[in-house]
Amino acid sequence: MSELTTISVTVNGEPREGRVEPRRSLADFLRQDMGLTGTHVGCEHGVCGACTVLVNGRSVRSCLLFAVQVNQQDVLTVEGLSPDGVTLHPLQQAFHEHHALQCGFCTPGMLLTSLELLRDNPAPTEAEVRLGLAGNLCMCTGYVNIVRAVLAAADGHAASASTAAGSETAESPPGALPRFPTGKEIA
Amino acid sequence: MKPAAFGYFAPRDLPEALSLVSTYSSDGKVIAGGQSLVPLMNFRLARPSHLIDINGIGSLSGIDAADGRVTIGATTRQRDAGTHPDVKVQLPLLAEAISYIGHLAIQNRGTVGGSIAHADPAAELPVVALALDAQMHVQRTDGQRTIPAAEFSLGYLTTVLEADELLTATSFGVPPAGSGWCFSEVARRHGDFALVAVAVLLTLDAAGKVGSASIALGGVGPVPMRAGAAERLLVGEAPTDPVLRAAADTVGADVEPEDDIHASADYRRHLAGVLVRRALTTARARAAVAGNEHV
Amino acid sequence: MSATSHATTLGTNWVGQPLPRKEDGPLLTGRDRFLDDIGLLGMAHVAILRSPYAHARILRVDASAAAALPSVLAVLTGEEVVRVSRPQRGRIPLPVSPQVYALAHDKVVYVGQPVAAVAAIDRATAEDALDLIEVEYEPLPAVVTPEGAMAPDAPILFEEVGSNILWHDTFPYGDVDGAFERADRVVRERVTIHRYLSTPLETFGSIAQFDASTQTMTIWGSAHQPGQEINNVAAALGLSPGQVRMIVPPMGGGFGNKTRPIYHILIALLARKLAGRPVKWVEDRRESLLALCHAADGIMEMEAAIQDDGTILGLKFRNIENEGAGIDFAGRHNLLMLSNIVNCYRVPAVSYEGYSVVTNCCPVIANRGIGKPFMCLAVERMVDAVARETGLDRVEVRQRNFIQPDQFPYDTPSGQTYDSGDYPEMLRKALALLDYDQLLVDQEAARAAGRLVGIGIACGVEPAGSNLSYGMLISGPSQLLSGQGEAARVRMEPDGSATVYTGGIESGQGHSTALSQIVADELGLRPDQIRIVATFDSHSHPYTQTSGNYSNKFNGHDTAAAIGAAGKVREKLLARAARMLEVAAEDLELAAGRITVRGAPDRSLPIAQVAARAYWSLNDEAPDDEPGLEALHYYRNPRTRAPDAQRRLPVQMGFSAAAHVALVEIDPETFEIEVRRYGVVHDCGREINPMIVEGQVHGATVHGIAAALLEEFVYDDDGQLLTTSFMDYLKPSSADVPMIETDHLETLSPWTPLGTKGIGEGGAIVAPAAIASAVEDALKPLGITVSGLPITPTRLWRLASQGGKRYPI
Ligand SMILES: Cc1cc2nc3c(=O)[nH]c(=O)nc-3n(C[C@H](O)[C@H](O)[C@H](O)COP(=O)(O)OP(=O)(O)OC[C@H]3O[C@@H](n4cnc5c(N)ncnc54)[C@H](O)[C@@H]3O)c2cc1C
Ligand code: FES
Ligand code: FES
Repeated sequence: MSELTTISVTVNGEPREGRVEPRRSLADFLRQDMGLTGTHVGCEHGVCGACTVLVNGRSVRSCLLFAVQVNQQDVLTVEGLSPDGVTLHPLQQAFHEHHALQCGFCTPGMLLTSLELLRDNPAPTEAEVRLGLAGNLCMCTGYVNIVRAVLAAADGHAASASTAAGSETAESPPGALPRFPTGKEIA
Repeated sequence: MKPAAFGYFAPRDLPEALSLVSTYSSDGKVIAGGQSLVPLMNFRLARPSHLIDINGIGSLSGIDAADGRVTIGATTRQRDAGTHPDVKVQLPLLAEAISYIGHLAIQNRGTVGGSIAHADPAAELPVVALALDAQMHVQRTDGQRTIPAAEFSLGYLTTVLEADELLTATSFGVPPAGSGWCFSEVARRHGDFALVAVAVLLTLDAAGKVGSASIALGGVGPVPMRAGAAERLLVGEAPTDPVLRAAADTVGADVEPEDDIHASADYRRHLAGVLVRRALTTARARAAVAGNEHV
Repeated sequence: MSATSHATTLGTNWVGQPLPRKEDGPLLTGRDRFLDDIGLLGMAHVAILRSPYAHARILRVDASAAAALPSVLAVLTGEEVVRVSRPQRGRIPLPVSPQVYALAHDKVVYVGQPVAAVAAIDRATAEDALDLIEVEYEPLPAVVTPEGAMAPDAPILFEEVGSNILWHDTFPYGDVDGAFERADRVVRERVTIHRYLSTPLETFGSIAQFDASTQTMTIWGSAHQPGQEINNVAAALGLSPGQVRMIVPPMGGGFGNKTRPIYHILIALLARKLAGRPVKWVEDRRESLLALCHAADGIMEMEAAIQDDGTILGLKFRNIENEGAGIDFAGRHNLLMLSNIVNCYRVPAVSYEGYSVVTNCCPVIANRGIGKPFMCLAVERMVDAVARETGLDRVEVRQRNFIQPDQFPYDTPSGQTYDSGDYPEMLRKALALLDYDQLLVDQEAARAAGRLVGIGIACGVEPAGSNLSYGMLISGPSQLLSGQGEAARVRMEPDGSATVYTGGIESGQGHSTALSQIVADELGLRPDQIRIVATFDSHSHPYTQTSGNYSNKFNGHDTAAAIGAAGKVREKLLARAARMLEVAAEDLELAAGRITVRGAPDRSLPIAQVAARAYWSLNDEAPDDEPGLEALHYYRNPRTRAPDAQRRLPVQMGFSAAAHVALVEIDPETFEIEVRRYGVVHDCGREINPMIVEGQVHGATVHGIAAALLEEFVYDDDGQLLTTSFMDYLKPSSADVPMIETDHLETLSPWTPLGTKGIGEGGAIVAPAAIASAVEDALKPLGITVSGLPITPTRLWRLASQGGKRYPI
């Protein structure tokens, strides 16, 4: 192990410090040093996009950046989209409603890439969404519902697929589990 | 897949960087966007003892359009170059080429200089540099030089850059108004390195004949190459379909592609001809006859 | 328990609703915990040294320099592994089985085979230490094609077997000779498939920790079949299965690939060596592509005895399967192809000859649809060949040979009973989905303009559930493993909600949501009141050796186990309520969170009130009652059995089906292939959650499309794999595939509790065949036929430029 360097990084809006070997990737720094395991690692050579985070507002592969390189910079990870881990960002909501995730391993990268995509192009066509997401592999969904979710989020109505989740026909017994929240409730 | 250990420097200015590059010239490496270098390090195919990170040097980044040239600092992100108004207007060929590079997240980090210095024979930017007769500006602690694109690449991932030299900027000559252009490629998937890439620039004289033609190809040999025979055949001719076809037909004989798992050498040779013909056709449609540029 | 009656007896029908998934929350917010997200105090990290040779003798391994590093905690070499563990056995015991250990000792047989392992303070350090291990090899000639491996002078991988043919057998069913004698003509085809893989985005991994005082091994690991893995580790380490605790965290995709016992054994051995320190290994992508597993490549030779009207009287198959250098799955691709070999067609006589051959390639494991994608490709290519030879329309040939709707349940020659289906209507619907008639008109116009536009048509069965007795076709009736089942435990909590544990494994298919819907219906609750403990833990979850997530078995087996357990809980609940309400249990209704006396709506109790008493008020108990509301159910499929005298047996337990229609366009100069539209009509019986079903269809279909056009493991003649990164092994991106258009048909299975059938694999089974068909149709103006995958521009161009007529060259 070589020498450790101290770095200061703003992670999801919070100032953070870490001591890292220069060879520690930003992905490993986030996952192992910051405990932010929502950033996933699927290839470590820049192709799959699972490790995508935003650095200074731009999507980057966190497996191709060393943590020392983001000293004094601003990083947004998937955890930052939902700081309390319960309330969903509209994009997350759209993914939920459109069944845009199966195993969910690609989802954090997809969300952050979509976030940048919609920021830069708030009303994309299907073809633009497909091109914009082409750097993120999903092995499960065939992309159909991911594309639909992003288009829906762009339209601003992250709804429609179904809102039947526990549609309040049955009465709750005392102490029933909280339902998984539907979009309407969060919005 | 973790890289071997290395020491890290983040110089703040060019002299500091040049001095580090010189000190570690035997086994250190410059890191720009890292989009080519870091995968190699993660696979431990590259094991630099030190990385000299040039991303923090403000003077290496930026786009300057003056005197008929557009100069792009080495660490300018590919994405910034591709979307820059001066590039879009004055170097549409370059902007078009950048749209073929990888994906957004790659372009967000990858640099113009990094791609040129890396010299992958299937990369887009070196092909455009060659088509536009770009000049590579290079510095070392004790001097600087300018290298024409045609002399820059020596072979697969090798250039004339010495180990203690830094590429600081690439300067592209702006083609005459009314030039037609086209960048095109065939790749296995969207965003992949090209099997064959073609950059074409065409100007028409007042008579509607080809005034000048520049055709560069990538993926067809160890370095990007110009299709000299085709260019010569075009100049002075009316760019009719048969003329474009005849020019394209000469390309196959000029190139020296190799086999790999994605494409055989003869398929690449064939693609080169097809792509050149199609790119010429597009460039012709985009070109204006001299004097009629604004029509 | 009859299928249809079941769901309708209950008040609320959650089954059938497209509920958004309950799994999504933590996955969306980055709060889920996959295997690599687990950290334990003092954890050691493993890197594996792998063979650079496809075939070589190991002369010497010296790991002393690595072991001497202070940051290295343990090193393991093959020599030690042989001393401290027992060899692994294949799933199906072979007549002569090679001795395979977690690390190679005397010989390596594929590039990437583990040779030594280092546990260090972190992964990077462990990788550093690999550089210090010296291995001396004596390279041997390698063989990578199955035909090469069968040649008399081929290098032999496993000397103890004496041949590279691990298994060979022939299965005649029905009057095959008679069919060929009666035939108007015989059509011959030879079809090949390549190596590819679904490559879950999360790679494989294992964490092990050994408690020396109790001699208990805890493994957190990727696994599809926990029962099998527990026994593999226990057998290798000489432990009782009860001393191995297996925990399977949520998996980032699996597709059958995460089934390599050697890795859990290896990590467990390191953990035992470190006596207490947890040990973690997560495969990196290079290791995964190189050495996790591949789907088998194969060569299928076929003959069809047909009448001039296109009726198929009999089929002969000869399949050579390349197992790679593995024994885990020997014979399985063959047997699973055999059992589905008539696909959707009424073919009375079939003979099948299968070879399982080892080569110096990566071992073969299950991959989405295991064997069936090749079955479907081969049969559908043959059906198109029949159409070509007879001059009949390919739709007509299919319609003529389909098993008809009134023939279900239908017995195939090899002993499968197809439960339900309407194949003629399925194909009609699929053609209508893409407006086939209009496509034909457009195609004609496009062809006239020199464009290469093709329409692909393919149909396929999608089996669900495997009777694991099928190994008896190789190993004989003494094989221990047989049948298929699943286990579930349901506990109604004192607050009236319910918790479910099953032996199934979740890797993205939405089982938790689907099970919640099912159990909610069973218990009169809402799905959000059902908690599924999705992280399998052998200390809390019931299981059998056949448990897990594979073979598309969820729909009929996991559901049945959960329904069985929930049904028992319901009985207990109603019995208790009956005493409280002083009526007979038969007079009670369970719905919407309440138990009500039928016909007397004012006499009712909230479920929670009854449930609380079951745990709190033990004095209430009748003398022979158990307190609590918990039940365990071990479900076994009643239709499984051993092979009969004619070696027929039901291997697959249910049969979904799909018809795919693809529209492709090929650039006539560059031969780039674009899939422009893609339609699927599927029939998986009752859909528990239509939204999840659609998602499975999309994902599986894209797997299949990519397998046909992009994905390919390429070996050179020395057995070096040339596709060890995602730059070279080409996965499809969103820009490479079209929207998948779907419609469905519903013929209920009479044999599953809810009328469900499988849905996880069908897209991957049929799509390769549909793409092959579409490309062939597009190339019709050039007279090129397609008999193998993958179809790549460079190869197509070469064929066309040489005037060739049959792809691949
Ligand atoms: C998934 C993926 C897809 C990609 N697809 C494409 C594609 O389609 N087309 C394409 O062209 N590229 C592609 N790339 C590569 C990308 O364009 C890289 O950004 C580029 O090749 C290198 O630029 P960089 O700034 O990242 O350089 P780095 O990776 O930082 O450096 C590359 C090499 O150049 C040297 N170097 C960098 N800057 C200088 C300098 N100023 N002076 C001297 N030496 C220097 C480095 O020492 C190193 O040896 C892809 C990359 C990935 C990960
Ligand atoms: S892990 Fe970074 S791109 Fe795959
Ligand atoms: S949902 Fe599994 S990889 Fe995308």
